[in-house]
Amino acid sequence: MNVTITVNGKQFTHDIEPRLSLAQYLRENLDLTGTHIGCDTSGCGACTITMDGNAVKSCTVLAVQADGSEITTIEGMAQNGEMHPIQAAFKEKHGLQCGFCTPGMVMVAADILKNYPNPSEEDIRHGLKGNFCRCTGYHNIVKSIQLAAETIND
Amino acid sequence: MGEFIGKSVKRREDARFLKGMGKYTDDIKLPKMTHSAFVRSPYAHAKIENVDISEAEKADGVVAIFTGKDACGEYGVPCGWQVDFKNGETMREPKHPLLAKDKIRHLGEAVTIVIAETLEQARDAAELVEVDYEELPAVTDPKKAMEEGAPLVHDDWDSNAAFDWCIGNDRAEVEAALEKAHHVTEMEYRNQRLAPNAMEPRSYIADYDVNGDKYTLYTSTQNPHLIRLLMCAFVLGLPEHKVRIVSKDVGGGFGSKIYHYTEEALLTWAAKEIGRPVKWTSDRSEAFLTDAHGRDHVVKSRMGFDKDGKIVAHLTDEYCGMGAYLSTFAPAVPTYLHGTLFQGVYTTPLIHLNVIAPFTHTVPVDAYRGAGRPEATYLLERIISKGAQEMGMDAAEIRYKNFIPPFDGVEEAGYQTQVALQYDSGNYEAALKKGLERLGYDDFRKEQSEARKNGRLLGVGISTYIEGCGIAPSAVVGALGARAGLYEVGQVRVQPTGKVSVFTGAHSHGQGHETVFAQFVADKLGIDMADVEIEHGDTDQVAFGMGTYGSRSLAVGGSAIIKSIDKILEKGAKIAAHKLEAAEDDLEYASGKWTVKGTDKSVSFGDVALTAYVPHNYPEGLEPGLDFSSFYDPSNFTYPFGTHIAVVEVDADTGAVELQRFIAVDDVGNIMNPMIVEGQIHGGVAQGVGQALLEEVAYDEAGQMITGSYMDYAMPRADDLPMIETENTVTPCPHNPLGVKGAGEAGAIGSTPAVVNAVVDALAHLGVTDIQMPLKPQTVWKAMQN
Amino acid sequence: MKIKGNYKLPASRSVVWDMVMDPEILERVTPGIKELKELSQDQYEAVSEVRVGPVKGNFTGKLSIKDKTEEEGCTLVIDQKSKMGNVVAEIVMNLASSDEGGTDVTYTGEAKMSGTLASMGQRIMSGVVSTLSKQFFKSMEEEIDKRSA
Repeated sequence: MNVTITVNGKQFTHDIEPRLSLAQYLRENLDLTGTHIGCDTSGCGACTITMDGNAVKSCTVLAVQADGSEITTIEGMAQNGEMHPIQAAFKEKHGLQCGFCTPGMVMVAADILKNYPNPSEEDIRHGLKGNFCRCTGYHNIVKSIQLAAETIND
Repeated sequence: MGEFIGKSVKRREDARFLKGMGKYTDDIKLPKMTHSAFVRSPYAHAKIENVDISEAEKADGVVAIFTGKDACGEYGVPCGWQVDFKNGETMREPKHPLLAKDKIRHLGEAVTIVIAETLEQARDAAELVEVDYEELPAVTDPKKAMEEGAPLVHDDWDSNAAFDWCIGNDRAEVEAALEKAHHVTEMEYRNQRLAPNAMEPRSYIADYDVNGDKYTLYTSTQNPHLIRLLMCAFVLGLPEHKVRIVSKDVGGGFGSKIYHYTEEALLTWAAKEIGRPVKWTSDRSEAFLTDAHGRDHVVKSRMGFDKDGKIVAHLTDEYCGMGAYLSTFAPAVPTYLHGTLFQGVYTTPLIHLNVIAPFTHTVPVDAYRGAGRPEATYLLERIISKGAQEMGMDAAEIRYKNFIPPFDGVEEAGYQTQVALQYDSGNYEAALKKGLERLGYDDFRKEQSEARKNGRLLGVGISTYIEGCGIAPSAVVGALGARAGLYEVGQVRVQPTGKVSVFTGAHSHGQGHETVFAQFVADKLGIDMADVEIEHGDTDQVAFGMGTYGSRSLAVGGSAIIKSIDKILEKGAKIAAHKLEAAEDDLEYASGKWTVKGTDKSVSFGDVALTAYVPHNYPEGLEPGLDFSSFYDPSNFTYPFGTHIAVVEVDADTGAVELQRFIAVDDVGNIMNPMIVEGQIHGGVAQGVGQALLEEVAYDEAGQMITGSYMDYAMPRADDLPMIETENTVTPCPHNPLGVKGAGEAGAIGSTPAVVNAVVDALAHLGVTDIQMPLKPQTVWKAMQN
Repeated sequence: MKIKGNYKLPASRSVVWDMVMDPEILERVTPGIKELKELSQDQYEAVSEVRVGPVKGNFTGKLSIKDKTEEEGCTLVIDQKSKMGNVVAEIVMNLASSDEGGTDVTYTGEAKMSGTLASMGQRIMSGVVSTLSKQFFKSMEEEIDKRSA
């Protein structure tokens, strides 16, 4: 099947198998390997991207379902080589260790801050519920998102 | 203290991870690369009657299919640690085949590998492989595996025991002391099986280059050199110098990526067979079925106290499941990494532990964050609290009564335990005191009794742990059965321009070595961090190494680097003296330059480096170059310790546990980067809390895993945890140059019993003295009703 | 996994019994069944495709009926294999006349699953089984309606 998908501002057209997941499409067809696959039941959130402005787990979206949509992946967050405030906050607050869940965390953080520009700790923890991190105990991820909120609001 | 040591320097590895530019194994694509999928057994125990690949072979894109009948590494993957029976009989060590041939011994064991042009084609073809099995009865519980008539995992022996081992004082002596004790506290429970669940699933790419007959294996391992050694020498019989192992960015390990897995060897073998690179990446379902699990101890314990609450004796019997085969370090985990910690932080005069380690029809069990030490700590910290509860004593008071008094290991000697080890340095009461102050212990007790009047169930749990890290002195572990040395290698190569490349045998998969190692290297050399690069995870780059586990990277790997830096500075001084026309003894080295004492005559590190490589005007007889490699073999383990305190509220109606506060006071020796140490503690605590409240791998009677996905295996999510309050005391390690002890496992070791103690404390007035982990609401609720 | 349930069918016990014992009707009313081949008396080979929510798979294997007591009940023995795991089940079915002249069908049994079905599916499988059972009895009802029409 033919799909046309805009990813990080660039339009791509590919002939793909209907069963191809969006996560696999991004990784294999577009070489955007920042989107990670950590499970097969939508449980871990490592594959989180934004699709038409909403955070989705790209392992449970078929690439054909994304036909005509606008996708942002982790690779699209930094602008002109400059880290997005969320990325910068993760570095500042040590919100990552092994880095594998990190792209999903950054993408879901963007979604949390879109919905809660001044999030409480509870809002953040609730928003992170769909994403596993096995390294940080979430402590510094929460701090990172709090800092990102401050930076963005300044 | 220099410019960088002790500072929370931000991590240099972060930018690539944050931008999605990390290079994990599954992100690598090689030209002409093929993909593979496994056919795995749906049974825990079965005879393989027939494997029919005829339909699969005809499927689109199939490159090759291999079964157990093919000649792939018939010796199987070896075990790296031998623990013999206490009667002298040799450990029973079955072959662990790369593909099962006649018999299945655990659910998910690989039967066939299908290699195809694309992953989808490999998976499609794998579905066409027909395997006929005859299902056989299975045993998954370690205690049941030792019962009369239990199904045998390996027919070669007449029982399932891999070994039956003991440590400590004479059993009869310990039993006699328990007979005479004023009070004896008993516990019977299961330290449940856990799945480590590093977020990056295991992933391997094997490549064979016919020019030069060389193999390259890209692998998500914590331990590249050891994988090469085991795979070459034991599994495939390949010459080591023809094999390169590359393990760059690895997405977490927690122990599960230490071991040499069958898939690594099988892919390496297959790459030569098909003459093309072949990739396999586990999916999460396969990870649950095939990554080594942790814990799985069935415990029966008795601790005797005198009338003042002093421990007089401790006797424990355990059944510790090994799984179907012996994984790389498996036998060491419930023995030398476990029994040797039974002294805890207490002066217990008599200790005896007996461990029977049976095979079961399950995934092999091996080290998982803490490895044996969380199990020891859980037992000690629960049973001493239970003893206090039964004798009507306070949980803090009983600990103060039993603590080993402070000793620094320099002025005062180390502490000789009843269970083989000698502790390096410790001040256990200081950590507890600090923790209780942070909590406001007395105020909390008042709040708790007020809350009880209103029907609210608050509880506090204390855990005062010790662990053995920095593994380890090679001679010691060799005597204990290790088949490898546990030194570390550190090479420091000063480039002609004064830039420094450091090659370490330690491996970073989240720990931040690229930052922390550069911090102390830059400080010791007095240069900028930007001038130091840390290289790891490539056997062609790094001379040798023993990898990262057991909180050893800084204590052992860091020390090896320090040794090389010492050699650099020693040689550098000779060059500097020559350049300055001064005696070596008259020089001092600081801020990146050698200065003639009492003058302003100096020469910089960069100048000396350049001279070393352009030795026109050079000391006579001195070799050119500035590049040293060192092996560091520690003289002892390191012994981090601390106090963890949990505060919980139990919902009186549902039994749900809310973790309200968690205080971690950890003494990890000197601290290179507080931000990173805190991060390590946070993560460890989360995993320990996970075991206490949520996680368990459960098998049904037939050996089917009923918690094989994130829908059923509950790991802590962001809303299961509070902010973690961290504090430190600092008791430097007396026997390594940085004075560091290790921080990777502390969080996971101290936290589990703190949480369970807190829940039991919350329910103590209802007569609850123990609850089986994980403390799911229904388990807690049931305990409340009895 | 325990399987348990009951259903009221608007037909007499003898009608229901005859329907259950008729492989052609069973093939029609059992959800997902693509083929039911009689191997010998009360022994069948079944090919089915089950699709409920995330659970989808092709099953092949044996189906047999034992402990028959005419118009009162029997035991259904299922042994089905698929790529996502195998199912072995024994289900006891009892028929009782209800007050309104219909038949109360109660069934109870135990199913053992293996492989992916067991590790990932146990939680959703009971839902799947109850959906399939409902479909089965609905189809039985339709069959009864057709007959009385």
